[in-house]
Amino acid sequence: MKIICLIKYIPDVENFKYDYERNVLVRENVRMILNPDDACTVAFALKRKDQYPDTVIEVVTMAPQSIIPQLEDLLRLGVDHASLISDKAFVGSDTYVTSRILGRYLREASFDCILTGTHTLDGDTAHVPSQVAELLSLSQMSNVVEIDEAAFCRERAIVEAEEELTFGTYEIALPAVISLRKDRKYKLPYIRYEELSRDVKDRIQIIDNDVLGFAQEEVGIIGSLTQISSTFVKSMEKKKRIIVRNDDEGIDLVYSFLKERGFV
Amino acid sequence: MKKVLIYYEQKQHKNSIELLAVARLIYGGTSADEEHTEAYETYGVSLEPTGSEANGLFDFLIQICGDSAQRERRALAPCQEHDQDNSPGCDALYMTSILAELQQEYQFDCILFPATHMGRMLAPRLAMRLQTGLVADVTDIRYKDGIMEIVRPAFSGKLMAGILSRTAPLMMSVRQNVFSYDPGRLTETRLISYTPKTASSEGLRLLKVREKEASKDIRDSDILISGGGGVMRDFKKLSDLAGELDALVSASRKTVDHGIAPRSIQVGQSGKTVSPKLYLALGINGSIQHIEGLKNVEYMIAVNTNKNAPICSISDIVVEGDAKEFINKLTEKIRKEKSKEARNEFAFQK
Repeated sequence: MKIICLIKYIPDVENFKYDYERNVLVRENVRMILNPDDACTVAFALKRKDQYPDTVIEVVTMAPQSIIPQLEDLLRLGVDHASLISDKAFVGSDTYVTSRILGRYLREASFDCILTGTHTLDGDTAHVPSQVAELLSLSQMSNVVEIDEAAFCRERAIVEAEEELTFGTYEIALPAVISLRKDRKYKLPYIRYEELSRDVKDRIQIIDNDVLGFAQEEVGIIGSLTQISSTFVKSMEKKKRIIVRNDDEGIDLVYSFLKERGFV
Repeated sequence: MKKVLIYYEQKQHKNSIELLAVARLIYGGTSADEEHTEAYETYGVSLEPTGSEANGLFDFLIQICGDSAQRERRALAPCQEHDQDNSPGCDALYMTSILAELQQEYQFDCILFPATHMGRMLAPRLAMRLQTGLVADVTDIRYKDGIMEIVRPAFSGKLMAGILSRTAPLMMSVRQNVFSYDPGRLTETRLISYTPKTASSEGLRLLKVREKEASKDIRDSDILISGGGGVMRDFKKLSDLAGELDALVSASRKTVDHGIAPRSIQVGQSGKTVSPKLYLALGINGSIQHIEGLKNVEYMIAVNTNKNAPICSISDIVVEGDAKEFINKLTEKIRKEKSKEARNEFAFQK
């Protein structure tokens, strides 16, 4: 069985800084991390490969070439191939264009199942998995919290997805796009000591626009259908506040505040 | 006359109706920055049999019917027994085809989806099918020099982005619980029955539905007792106070990431947007991502060892100190007052 994990590397949003003077996000020297939902897809695929060694895993990502060391680490974990889609012409693409770029590569690729994350911590539009599925005319399910490992085969998958008020269990005919959501069940292992310095370069292929053949005006900022016109930090409305201590006086004040407004 | 199509999910009635407020912001001149009015009419579209709830709100209500829709509906029904026939589940692939047919027929200028589980799968597919741009999780619409800017959070809510959409139809998925719609007076909803030309796909099948354990939704509660990193060790204590105030317990991302609270009660950008009347923030620092999840909160009380934590600057009362101690003291105080009142009442009756 061949599994493609469609993954994204994102800036580590926890450590982002905002330059209030220039009104921009400081992106320099920001560490890139594997998006947590996407890490679950690789973790699931590796777990599967442990049980069924004939499983073939390919990770596909669109990123600058500086991400290669991180892809090498995934290969050292047991991923078979990494495909890096990278071209200067693709910089600034919105989700629509990104999906088309990935879709064009995936149309030619072989797979039984595509695994993606549901959310990313940076853009968090959740567009790309659905749009890639649309381009490939495949079914897709988002917010998947569990894939039934015993039932997972070339023909079908049984997955549980978290919806608003319920969990739904679905059977999906494969090939399909299954979008996972971060769950503690699926965690990436550590690289084994003897693998740490293994040379895996020959298992990475770089795909640029010479291969995919988009016209200049189809991709990047020019090709995008949506465009960011401004970014701003939400200003917080300051209130006239009362500061009290955690003593009887303070508790009395809080209590009467609640009492006056009918909360108790 | 502009035409707006709204994807109506009966199970998410409120979040679907909120989209009428967005239509009003786009065409109805209610955007705060600039008046921008154009005549428009609203179309709701639903796969589920719509009850009276949606009546009087949309100008038109398109009801999908026909054999395959019937099978879809059966598969959609909650808590149904395991369906033996081959009925596909709520299949976004199939629904996209139906919506694309409708677009062909009606030529909508704007298509809106609630950012629900289904809405978020459906909107990007349809945008791709119609080759138009899509803005996700919209939280505001504003006009600048007559040009519409669509506002959404980015980078986990650390930043807001204004987006221009260059293509037609205009498509958005709308963040739940951000907008509120007051219909004013009810309109007369005209019903349209639509039989799709596309046959249902067989790729997806709903096998079973399991209700979530914590069925109470923090978005429905008037009072929220919310805990963060400062009360992680004593998180269970929160329910004592919640019990006294008839409130629900909610949590910050930190507690969820540590596995202390379930994701279903998380407030903030990556959790839920809530609008309680009273929000008690216990041991919560108040990152922008957290504040992003608070909309129209009437009163806020923060308890924090650091009175300069960001959450404190938007609170009515700041209690400087340990949150656990605060919970104990306030719970005790409320109990004492309650029994005092009960005693008085008893004496009065005598």
